[in-house]
Amino acid sequence: MADRQVAERNLMAEMQITDADIERRKKMVGLTAADLSRISGLKEIVLAHVDESTATFFEFLAGLEEAKGLVSKRDLMERARQLKSEHLAAMVQAHYDRHYVEQRILLGLLYSKAGLDTRAFLGAFHALLRNTGTTIMKHFERSPLEGFESFMSLKKIAFFDIGVIMDVLVFERERVIRQQQEAIRELSTPVLQIRDRLLLLPIIGVIDTNRARLITESLLRAIRDNRAKMVVMDVTGVASIDSRVANHLLQTVSAARLMGALVIVTGVSSEVAQSLVALGIELTVNTVGDLQGGVEEAERLLGYRVVQTPPAAAQSS
Amino acid sequence: MPVPILKQGDVLIASIQAALTDHDLLTLRDELADRVGRLRAHGVIVDVTALDVLDSFATRTLLGIAYTARLRGAETVVVGIQPEVAFAMVQLGLSFEGVATALDLEEGLELLRARSQGGRDHAG
Repeated sequence: MADRQVAERNLMAEMQITDADIERRKKMVGLTAADLSRISGLKEIVLAHVDESTATFFEFLAGLEEAKGLVSKRDLMERARQLKSEHLAAMVQAHYDRHYVEQRILLGLLYSKAGLDTRAFLGAFHALLRNTGTTIMKHFERSPLEGFESFMSLKKIAFFDIGVIMDVLVFERERVIRQQQEAIRELSTPVLQIRDRLLLLPIIGVIDTNRARLITESLLRAIRDNRAKMVVMDVTGVASIDSRVANHLLQTVSAARLMGALVIVTGVSSEVAQSLVALGIELTVNTVGDLQGGVEEAERLLGYRVVQTPPAAAQSS
Repeated sequence: MPVPILKQGDVLIASIQAALTDHDLLTLRDELADRVGRLRAHGVIVDVTALDVLDSFATRTLLGIAYTARLRGAETVVVGIQPEVAFAMVQLGLSFEGVATALDLEEGLELLRARSQGGRDHAG
């Protein structure tokens, strides 16, 4: 239980749900003090029918193919049932704070874990509201208008809850995408040593401000760790370079120079070169046509001389 | 805290040990300018390995040291700029335009040696 509390509190922080955000959400559903007092008036009626309303929700789900993930798992189902009736009881307490939102997040996480279809959830929630609404209207037979007003106040909270639960479902679904992006970002900035004191930095894909910073940081660290004097930066894999990207590259080059390493940029394609010229961007760095040329130039500057000898196989025969 | 200035052959080495005040920097500049002439040094190395920040004033003063030394006949190399410092400097748009930089003291000495040899070859 303690773990779970920590998890949902983390999620709350990750989703940036703060006290201010909660207030904002209340404002968005139009919740007022009058609503709160009307909801308080409903307390006894709703509490008396909690079990019945909860049952409506899950009966509705049971009839849907899309909700099988939740309905077929007994432990999840039991937990959901318990949370749902707690939810209904909390809904009429007319006190909606962090703790209340935390409980909704917990429920949302459970739905997300069970892979509950959002449409199925909305349908079931509507069925539950309909059931509660009917109960309330029955109670207010003498003054239907008052009953309707009270029900509408409760509905505001229901929409507030739907908002939170939907956010959790979407956030959890996007988590996978975020993790993949993170992985790609980490994989895509290798700094390789190809000779003593010579590093190769192949850049592939889109460069944004964030990635440019990561590239620069890892390059600078590699320069220090490998005591590099030359760096060949290959941009063959960079599809387009605009003024912002060019600026990032220039920053990387100057930072490397501050650490005593000379950077050679290679692989500027003809399209990139033309667009740079057309944009009037001056890439004031050493450039060499292709990666091979860049490596050869770097070797020359470092004093290496590559000598071709007859292949080993030919020597032995 | 004053910066010790060591003499190694015809190279002066100023090794900065701790964060410097603006006043310390100016003292270092004057001291180096004086010694370059007096000791007939051909190279100056300023080691900033211990610094975790280089602001615009420090950068400008180091540039000043380099230009002064050049006028007095010595080449200056700034060595030991840390990755974080280098990154922060380019972010702030600061640079050591026209001044040599090297990874560390050893590299700096090597650079000066190569330069003076190149110069001698050229002359001879």
